[in-house]
Amino acid sequence: MKFYETLYIVDANIENKSLEKEMDDVGKELAKTKSKIINHRVWGKKRLAYAIQRQKYGSFIILQYAGGDLGKMPDFDTWMKLNNSVLRHMTVALSEEPAVHIEEEKSEQDNEKIQQQDTENVEVEGDKKSDSASENENESKADSDSIQVESEVVKEEQESVSEED
Amino acid sequence: MAFQQRNKFCYFKENGINDIDYKDVKLLRRFVNDQGKIMPRRVTGTSAKMHRKLVRAIKRSRAIALMPYVEKGTD
Repeated sequence: MKFYETLYIVDANIENKSLEKEMDDVGKELAKTKSKIINHRVWGKKRLAYAIQRQKYGSFIILQYAGGDLGKMPDFDTWMKLNNSVLRHMTVALSEEPAVHIEEEKSEQDNEKIQQQDTENVEVEGDKKSDSASENENESKADSDSIQVESEVVKEEQESVSEED
Repeated sequence: MAFQQRNKFCYFKENGINDIDYKDVKLLRRFVNDQGKIMPRRVTGTSAKMHRKLVRAIKRSRAIALMPYVEKGTD
């Protein structure tokens, strides 16, 4: 049995409910080919690399399935092409069985931890900034020192030149 | 003066990557120039086998609008 993946782009402006409905429709259409759906999830709203139907953004949806009746796959392809809410779609064969995607649910504790870490990071960054600022001051001081030294050297040279004369 | 050439190596062999996913745009971006053109093998040092897979992945990712066919260069 071969495994396939269809990635399709839906208009990013449509609401979540109609997006779910769209996904249901695609799933039903695919069911006609007797394919077994493994994953069907929203990958996310992304910026398109080039405009498609004057849209700059699109919701990417990943659909992974085990191939069923391959004779009916062209019908599914045509249906996707004629579907106006699908901006673009592409089906590729997978080399191995895809793993079932598990939604990463962050518990409240994790969220709190992340927030704490964020605040710590900000504090550390603030310290670094102040350090770098003081370093800059030191550098500027050092620069002015070196300039003074140089000017003294130049003076000495001038004196030596005048003595030679 | 003799110019010392840095040793080229195949990124994928070095990192043990066998299959290149066309959805991994961050990885594919390393192998195109600022105009969006695929870099030649003699520049990137990719092995012939992996370069064929890389090219396929980049072309797939272009077809689904994850990567551009053409892009304005910096100059």
